[in-house]
Amino acid sequence: MLLKDNYAIVGIGNTAVGKLPLMSDYGLQVEAARKAMDDAGLQKNDIDGLITHSHLLGGVRVHHQRVAARLGIDTAFGVSISSGGATSCLMVQLAAAAIDAGFCKTVLCVHGDKGLTREGGDTHDGDREFGPEYGLFSAAALHAFGATRHMHEYGTTHDHLGAIAVAFRKHAQLNPAAQVRQPMTLHDYHNSRWIVWPYHLLDCCLRSDGAAAILVTSAERARDMRSLPVYLMGMGRANNSRGPFYGNHMTELGAKESGVQAFQMAGITPGDIDVAQIYDCFTYIALVTLEDYGFCKKGEGGPFVTGGRIELGGQLPTNTSGGMLSEGYVEGMLQIIEAVRQLRRECGPRQVENAEIAIVSGNGGNAVCHSTLILRR
Amino acid sequence: MSEYQKPVPVPSEDSEPFWAAAKKHELSLQRCTACGALRFPPAPVCPECTAAGGEWMRLTGRGKIFSFVVFHKAFHKSFEKDIPYAVAVVELEEGPRLASSIVGVAPDQLRCEMPVEVVFDDVTPDCTLPKFKLVS
Repeated sequence: MLLKDNYAIVGIGNTAVGKLPLMSDYGLQVEAARKAMDDAGLQKNDIDGLITHSHLLGGVRVHHQRVAARLGIDTAFGVSISSGGATSCLMVQLAAAAIDAGFCKTVLCVHGDKGLTREGGDTHDGDREFGPEYGLFSAAALHAFGATRHMHEYGTTHDHLGAIAVAFRKHAQLNPAAQVRQPMTLHDYHNSRWIVWPYHLLDCCLRSDGAAAILVTSAERARDMRSLPVYLMGMGRANNSRGPFYGNHMTELGAKESGVQAFQMAGITPGDIDVAQIYDCFTYIALVTLEDYGFCKKGEGGPFVTGGRIELGGQLPTNTSGGMLSEGYVEGMLQIIEAVRQLRRECGPRQVENAEIAIVSGNGGNAVCHSTLILRR
Repeated sequence: MSEYQKPVPVPSEDSEPFWAAAKKHELSLQRCTACGALRFPPAPVCPECTAAGGEWMRLTGRGKIFSFVVFHKAFHKSFEKDIPYAVAVVELEEGPRLASSIVGVAPDQLRCEMPVEVVFDDVTPDCTLPKFKLVS
């Protein structure tokens, strides 16, 4: 069966985000899963597929089983995957593909951890050569080389990057669940301390404790669920596998190819998108993704994000819940959830009027892995 | 004399010749004997044509700054005193790009496309790091 429009997100759930001292990593995931089941009106025995994000709990090899055990779900299909920040959108795609292949009927995708309490839950070993000996550490640095290069090639400025941070903070102020809601001006942005130039602190996303869960099933089953189904209209995925320093990878992400796939599958163009949820681990990654998706020409992302164009009421309302810069991290899971809420028109003061079609991006592995979802109501 | 506190590279089976060459003050990468492509990072197979093997070839050591960042936060204690310090991605004349330090220049003077050439820093008796300096 064609995947387009034949699979749907039928349940979403998320915990609070911020510092959550009373719950474990698994506790957060199970809580999010319970909320997603309730949202869909499903019982645990209705779920026969489980996809979890593996890498944040590095020592655990069959992480999905640990989650399934705590939920009491006996899965037909269970895997833990990682494509870094591209994992969240990829889990939803893989869920549809697994159902289509007949492996299972209804899939729970779940991710979350105590990234704030533990200062990053990732326990994998870092690089041992060609980096640390020169003082090259951190995701911030590995995502900053591209920003420097983009500034050099296209004249992108800190005013441009700052416009992204300010826009998403404005949106977070309309989201009572956002982790950081205090007002921020462009002046505040410029005055925030340098982390790794060209990134200020306010170019960098939050660290968060929190989890989110998404239930995927067939469009046919989706009709009987409690909540309005949101259909998987387009999907894309691509990797700049030769690494972030190779070729034009600093200024063109896997988003280019992934976006083309997703728009082709959906049979629409960027002009048809009502609301965007763009992976914003760092401001520049949001900027370059918007270019690569074709919302503006290559190199014009800087001017594009200014003048309120990506704010509510603008041409392309983006990261309407605050994004990872202001709502919370959870490795992009919350951005899928916000897209679903926008399409269900549950967003109150931050609702994009008549939202019919949303795009969501995921980007990971230090700017090499990418995935795209186009969703419709 | 205080001991060198910064991380030193832990060579893999694949990269050991790179570091051995650096110790002799030579910048060296593998060249595919089948298609001639230079590769980085070191690996037993050519990423262009999948031919096995390859020969280590000494490079000119000349290149340019493709991009750079400036650390204002120490992610490792041993770099605290160096802040602010730059890490550059150097594009070698022969093509490959690698991360390194640019010595002898304040970070705020760096720009993309500046020409550089390799210098060798013997940081311990066992370890030499290829770094780069601006070419005037």
